[in-house]
Amino acid sequence: MTGDQAAAAVGVTPGTLRRWVRERLIPQYRGEWSTPALSQARLVARLRERGHTLAEIRRAGEDGRLAFSHVADLFGVEEPVYTVADATRETGLDPQLVERIKLSLGLRDSRGLTKEELELLRYVAAVLDAGLPLEALLQLTRVYSQAVSQIADAEVRLVHLYVHEPLMRSGSSAAEMADELVELTGDLLPLASPMLDQLHRRMLGHFIEQDIVGHMEAELQSSAEAGRMRVAIAFADLAGYTRLTEEAGELHALDVVERFTEAVVATLPEDARMVKTIGDGVMIVGSDPAALAVWAVGFQRLHTDRPRPRIAVHYGYALYRDADYYGREVNIAARVAARAAGGEVLVTRPIVEASGSELEFERIAEVRLKGFKGPTEIFLARPRGERPPEVVS
Amino acid sequence: MTATFSSAAEFREVMDRTFAMMSADPVVGPQLRSADTPQRFEFPDLQMVVNIRSGGEGEDNLTWEWTDEVPWEAKVRLTMSSETANRYFQGKENMATAIARRGIKASGDVSATLTIIPLTKPVFARYRQMIAADYPHLEV
Repeated sequence: MTGDQAAAAVGVTPGTLRRWVRERLIPQYRGEWSTPALSQARLVARLRERGHTLAEIRRAGEDGRLAFSHVADLFGVEEPVYTVADATRETGLDPQLVERIKLSLGLRDSRGLTKEELELLRYVAAVLDAGLPLEALLQLTRVYSQAVSQIADAEVRLVHLYVHEPLMRSGSSAAEMADELVELTGDLLPLASPMLDQLHRRMLGHFIEQDIVGHMEAELQSSAEAGRMRVAIAFADLAGYTRLTEEAGELHALDVVERFTEAVVATLPEDARMVKTIGDGVMIVGSDPAALAVWAVGFQRLHTDRPRPRIAVHYGYALYRDADYYGREVNIAARVAARAAGGEVLVTRPIVEASGSELEFERIAEVRLKGFKGPTEIFLARPRGERPPEVVS
Repeated sequence: MTATFSSAAEFREVMDRTFAMMSADPVVGPQLRSADTPQRFEFPDLQMVVNIRSGGEGEDNLTWEWTDEVPWEAKVRLTMSSETANRYFQGKENMATAIARRGIKASGDVSATLTIIPLTKPVFARYRQMIAADYPHLEV
């Protein structure tokens, strides 16, 4: 690659690139624009865009703060060589669809597509050919993209926190750090894909089984719109968490939240799963409203440490989109949870009606939840025959 | 689906093998040892009690005795039928759900159970293998 081509790839003038070389900002440059040298030049360009001076960047390179950039060499830098028209011809997908899929996959380079990205589009075309409806496919690609970017972000952050920073504190030289990080990443990288593949297969098996059970047991949802499903929704968080953070410190409070979410995941009924964490809380969705209500009551009996959880469970039609659940019924569940005190399980009328005789429900209020016109009945749930739970307000 | 132990002796044999399995498991054993949560299990249908604790120095990861005459104090006390215990180790009994339904009664430092539950899950598959191979009448 010539200097002019390298400059174009980095997005600066050839003169700027030559100056960076003279200023020793690109130690990987050994008379030719290799992939490592180009990666470093891109990094320098990004840092310049963020307002860092050349002297600051050189210092950061010398004391090892940029050592992780060498790891990027392992991935290579592919240039876009295909146009959307090429992709259309290669995959049989129409141009507009190629653009939509690019967006859903997070491919935002307007210059075109790399060889790998074109390969990705071929997979997508094959999935459509196999019969998955377009709307489902677009959601799926968005979910893949979000999930994988979260994984990659976590991988980088954790290596940074647990490997790179300790190396910097140990006084290792920039070259030693770069070697260490490149070697570690080189060892880990081949393991990531098979690990993800295995986990994915296991999870897929589990959720297919759950879906079959759900179909067997759920009422026929003929009146539901496409993309809507009737689900049991629970929100659970820790009462008094802000105060705990203030009193015991962020690290302790975070530790408490981690234990709480682990405990939730470890005890959930088979048909339920944690959809997401929201600060010190979690959102759970299941197919069996009675089972989720029973779980919530049992979980409260197990989680007796302070801060105590507060939980609400509701049942209704939610809009399923991009691996999350939305809509009025989800909002109701969240609003009811906000009314619970630590140690309490609050439920709504649909849960009471779907539950069997294992729990007892005390109607404690009929309220107008924030943002809703009509009233909502709220019930306190507990095991049949048990005294009301100890409540932390 | 229910599955009943043919005798108290059989129940004790199965549980002894299960505790030994957990204690010797290279992952589960050390984790249970460091959890250091002495537990007392009571099985009223068979009028049996077992106390289990982390092993001390030079001992296996877990130590258990089928009596209340033990020189340590249980941190958590769990009462359940032998049938429930069998279902639990086969991964067919959810602890939180069982507590709400009164299938399991818990007392003491109940929160400590939340630490133990995830640690025991990895042995469920091995327990099921053991049941399928040697005690098929207990499969649920």
